Amino acid sequence: MSFAAIQRILGLLLMVFSLTMLPPVGVSYLYRDGSHGAFLTAFLVLLAIGTLVWYPARRDRRDLRLRDAFMVVALFWVVLGTAGALPLVISPKPVVSVTDAIFESISGLTTTGATVLTGLEQLPRSILYYRQQMQWLGGMGIVILAVALLPMLGVGGMSLYKAETPGPVKDSKLTPRVTQTAQMLWVVYLTITVACAGGYFLAGMDWFDAIGHAFSTVSIGGFSHYDASLGHYDNPAIEAVAILFMLIGATNFALHFTAWRSGRFGAYFSDPECVAFLKFMATISLITVAYLLIDGDYEDTLELAMDGTFQAISVGTTSGFTTSHYHHWPGALPVLLIFASFVGGCAGSTAGGMKVIRALLLMKQGRREVFRLVHPNAMMPIRIGGRAVPARVVDAVWGFFAVYVGSFAVLLLLLMVAGLDQVSAFSAIAATLNNLGPGLGEVAQNYASLNAFEKWVCVLAMLLGRLEIFTLLILLTATYWQK
Amino acid sequence: MSSHLNLGVIRRILGLLLAVFSLSMLAPVAVSLYYRDGQAELFIEAFLIILVVGMLMWFPARKRHGELRLRDGFLVVALFWCVIGLAGAVPFALADDPKMTVSQAVFESVSGFTTTGATVLTGLDALPRSILYYRQQIQGLGGIGIVVLAVALLPLLGIGGMQMLKAETPGPMKDAKLTPRITGTAKALWGVYLVITLAGVLAYWLAGMSLFDAVSHSFTAVSTGGYSTHDESIGYFGSTAVELVTIVLMVLGGASFSLHFLAWRYRHVGDYWRDEEFRAYVAILLSTTLITTIVLMLTGAYADPAEAVRSALFHAVSVQTSTGFTTENFALWPGVLPTLLIFTSFVGGCAGSTGGGMKVIRWLLVTKQGSREVSRLIHPSAEVVVKLGGRPIDSRVIEAVWGFFAIYLIVFTLLMLALMGTGVDQITAFAAIATCMNNLGPGLGEVATNFQSMNPAGEWLCTLAMLLGRLEIFPLLVLVSPGFWRG
Repeated sequence: MSFAAIQRILGLLLMVFSLTMLPPVGVSYLYRDGSHGAFLTAFLVLLAIGTLVWYPARRDRRDLRLRDAFMVVALFWVVLGTAGALPLVISPKPVVSVTDAIFESISGLTTTGATVLTGLEQLPRSILYYRQQMQWLGGMGIVILAVALLPMLGVGGMSLYKAETPGPVKDSKLTPRVTQTAQMLWVVYLTITVACAGGYFLAGMDWFDAIGHAFSTVSIGGFSHYDASLGHYDNPAIEAVAILFMLIGATNFALHFTAWRSGRFGAYFSDPECVAFLKFMATISLITVAYLLIDGDYEDTLELAMDGTFQAISVGTTSGFTTSHYHHWPGALPVLLIFASFVGGCAGSTAGGMKVIRALLLMKQGRREVFRLVHPNAMMPIRIGGRAVPARVVDAVWGFFAVYVGSFAVLLLLLMVAGLDQVSAFSAIAATLNNLGPGLGEVAQNYASLNAFEKWVCVLAMLLGRLEIFTLLILLTATYWQK
Repeated sequence: MSSHLNLGVIRRILGLLLAVFSLSMLAPVAVSLYYRDGQAELFIEAFLIILVVGMLMWFPARKRHGELRLRDGFLVVALFWCVIGLAGAVPFALADDPKMTVSQAVFESVSGFTTTGATVLTGLDALPRSILYYRQQIQGLGGIGIVVLAVALLPLLGIGGMQMLKAETPGPMKDAKLTPRITGTAKALWGVYLVITLAGVLAYWLAGMSLFDAVSHSFTAVSTGGYSTHDESIGYFGSTAVELVTIVLMVLGGASFSLHFLAWRYRHVGDYWRDEEFRAYVAILLSTTLITTIVLMLTGAYADPAEAVRSALFHAVSVQTSTGFTTENFALWPGVLPTLLIFTSFVGGCAGSTGGGMKVIRWLLVTKQGSREVSRLIHPSAEVVVKLGGRPIDSRVIEAVWGFFAIYLIVFTLLMLALMGTGVDQITAFAAIATCMNNLGPGLGEVATNFQSMNPAGEWLCTLAMLLGRLEIFPLLVLVSPGFWRG
């Protein structure tokens, strides 16, 4: 365990992160909202802490080993997530407890989008901007993590499959791999964000809203400047832009890179996961619209179709934007959509959930088991895109699924021990574990009514989901700390 | 090798089955005459109908004596339970007291044979004795059927990894052909089942029950069914002695009958403790009891620790073994407890028992596999073999267990959503599907004590859930897969 290397990286991360406090200062001066003090203070504090952490270890140039990578990944989200709470605590508006600030900050960095704040429209502009920026940074972080690191760590079966798909990095050493990925993908990420902001602006948002919502759309985060989320605008053009960029955000960024590099759109349609993802989104949208047609109370069919599709894709990709109060929809629909969020987006995207590729593998494995009952002697490897998937990967995906469901059950029970009712607990854990955002019952609009313990359980769920469970869980095992 | 389904032999077997089953209508006739409750005619009618249908099925196929093969096995298992479930509904459908719709009659009958124990009936204490006896008898018969299914058939068919049990079954189990294997196992196990049931009757009677109640409840305790002749279930008796007898019978019912047979044959009581699954089974029971007791005490639901332990133990055992007896309405317990208990019903009993759920052995394997995945992340090149009872488990079995686990949860989710689609609220739907699929009985919300308020579509969905759970999903799933019917 090379603590020095980890310390150096952590210090660097904090120092870089402190710089992200500066744009909000600019926004604060621009709108004269009085919160510039909070961000300047946060900047200085984080810079100082970062430097103090980095300085003693600055000469350690060793490459990170596999084991260290788990620690770094966990620390990135936990430490930066906590550090990000600082401006919220210091700022005079909003008035939040430390628990609330950390909840909001981690919800931002993990691109969950669950909020404890109400009356968003009255908050200082810099604070609103800061929240959106957190999600955008978190989205960038998860893309790098998912494309470069997780395949190397082999978490939940993502190893051998992802290592073979076309992507930006061929380097097998950890640090160069991560830095190369970052260099390649940030351009893609930035371009998409700019395009999204442009789209929103053309559809009718002012430029502040356009940028803010572009931040949280491309990162599949779901934070908004308004309590009513995108429903505030009641504008189908905006919803259409959102749908397009949610789909883009939930697609593998390595795929975006490849398609862009080679100029071929066909790359998307030859990727089995992407195709499965699009089919799944189409199916969910269709079911939603059909259910609403039969059982909902919309007057305008076009509005129904738009709302239904938007909500289905928003929840299915784990973004979490809302246009109508979907938790008031008929019967099984909200629960169905929440279950859909367990599948989530593609691996290598900013989306949450278990990821489409795992759902695909699980489906094929399930079908194979049924087939094997009737033909016990048949040899049937699992294939994706024509290539056989190794048994080790298949095992790992099963394991991931079991641990994911198990974690969900335990966290749900914990919330209920704290006194939350079953429907709220179920949706709260589902919405945080899958990094979705809004739930049902008490957590339909926001998480403000939860007590401190319940909020911490939700924070844990957000981190577990973002880090694909194992990355965090492994730190608790004895094996990890042995020589 | 011909892969055509041996439909003729299957028809013959089912016809015989129905004919034999019709005889079971005669016992309620006797009960009816004894108590003079006027239902004798009803059961005689049912007897004749089922006998005739059975004969009509059997007669054209009576000369077909081929061997059953693997593929036939799935069909037989699935049809057996569906056909019996329907046949058993006949008395319910014909009866005037209670008056039941067809969907309710089928629900009640299937709930009996799958030893679920969910009931659409209320006012049990006022119903005719023969009807009450008939319900209990169904569960007794269901229990016997399940034991044979679980010990002989499912391992042979390799359902959800159960082939790992093949090596452990007693008696003439080395025979590869289906029919002798089933009959051999059946004979071995019916003896054990009968002995335990009779011991149960005696114990209940000594504890103060009437003979009628003693027989009735022994039937449904050993089969981990949970039907009672009283609305208040075991709570009706208000007796610690009765509760203790029930707990013992439930624990026995939820343990592997192969183990019982071995212990009985070879007089090795130590065999229980040497079995890894049994140890896990007991450990989970005790943990649930502990957690339940603590929460009951902390939330002030119980002031007296002894009372808390008594109720916690009873319900922990009842729910996990999927029996479903209650001494109070646990759906009213504070906060997390009702949901926690319903979650434990997913664990269920041991493989080869009458219990429902996913079975302890699968959870054991899933846990071991899970921790292997975690250590693989740190030591990617290490070769770790998953072992059970000291013996390594084949990777095919492991994959089958995973597959079962995933499909079980997905089927649960789909059924729950379908039930919500009929207008049922989320908590009731969750509990209804869980309790039916795990063959438990009581649930939460609208189905906490009975299913009387369930809509007809919902009743059919729940009936389907009961069958899927009892048959361990795959036999029914195989039937709808295209590969099965082709050559």
